Amino acid sequence: MIGIPIAALVMGFLLVYFFLPAIPSQWADYVAIAIIAGLDAFVGAGRNWLERRFDEAIFISGFFVNMLLAALLAYFGDKLGVDLYLAVVVALGIRIFNNLGRTRALLVTARVEARRARGIAPSE
Amino acid sequence: MTGGKRWIIPMTFVCLVLGAMLGIQVHSQQLRGATEVGRQTSALVGMLSRNELQVEQQKQEIEKLRARLAEYEREAASEKGFARLMTEELATSRIALGTVAVRGPGVVLEISDSTMRTSNDFGGADVYVIHDFDLLQIANELWCAGAEAVSLNGQRLITGSAIACSARLIEVNKVTVASPFVFQAIGDKQKLMAALNIRDGVLDRLRVLQFPVKLTPKDEIVIPPISVTPKYDFAQPVKEKKQ
Repeated sequence: MIGIPIAALVMGFLLVYFFLPAIPSQWADYVAIAIIAGLDAFVGAGRNWLERRFDEAIFISGFFVNMLLAALLAYFGDKLGVDLYLAVVVALGIRIFNNLGRTRALLVTARVEARRARGIAPSE
Repeated sequence: MTGGKRWIIPMTFVCLVLGAMLGIQVHSQQLRGATEVGRQTSALVGMLSRNELQVEQQKQEIEKLRARLAEYEREAASEKGFARLMTEELATSRIALGTVAVRGPGVVLEISDSTMRTSNDFGGADVYVIHDFDLLQIANELWCAGAEAVSLNGQRLITGSAIACSARLIEVNKVTVASPFVFQAIGDKQKLMAALNIRDGVLDRLRVLQFPVKLTPKDEIVIPPISVTPKYDFAQPVKEKKQ
């Protein structure tokens, strides 16, 4: 099951990497920002999944809209001569770290609880 | 889990997009690195091979000159042959001197003052007009790319041609010219185009400031002769002593 999205990830990468010409270098920064936003949506989805409030509508819309907004913000920053690019990177970076930390905590808690449950179960 | 399969489709879709974007980014970053590191090396390799080619051409040239020298010596006896040779020499010299109109393939470059208008605080009007040094740089670029004959607004550029600024007017061969400036150059079309369009070159600089730039390759260009043949009051040919 989990294999299908992973295969899609690899396939998307390979298709573009080998068959598409490179984009103009001035776009590279915006694509990078969009990727960071996409990663943020991904990590957020992982956390929501563990907290059992994952919703694919929120995931999909968050993924695309945040990507677009992040790139647009960076673009306008460039046009205005303000490094909004940095604001986006910092904001998204903090969110990614927070969500990863939350995810780790959830996973560890789940393991500890499972071990405790196993420890108690045989004695009963 | 009830929603066990519902997440598969959006997740697959999102993964595809994310993978594609990573592909774009990695690809373009690699190319960026490759061009920056590789540029110097490839430039050096290019220079080396060009130099080798030049040496080869020079050798051939020497051979040709030697053969011609022998021919001169042989023809010197019969006056008719010698005259024919001199006529040929004269034709080449006239092209070099710019006293005859020439035709051939080449490029036409048209530039005029910038369409951008901003307040005088930002560099003033001087930034948005074509200067003599812009034209000099273009002319130089054309000669570098192997142009065999060049004219600017109908003025043939020859060895003694000056492009100079006097009292906010640009003079070529002592004739005043004004925007739009039209360069005509005869030579290898591809080479001339490439030399002018070189990244961060003179045309790039002008385009950034919104100077209208029109560069077109042409199969047939006619370049007029110089209007006033230069006089040589001071320079005298040095007579080589015969051994």
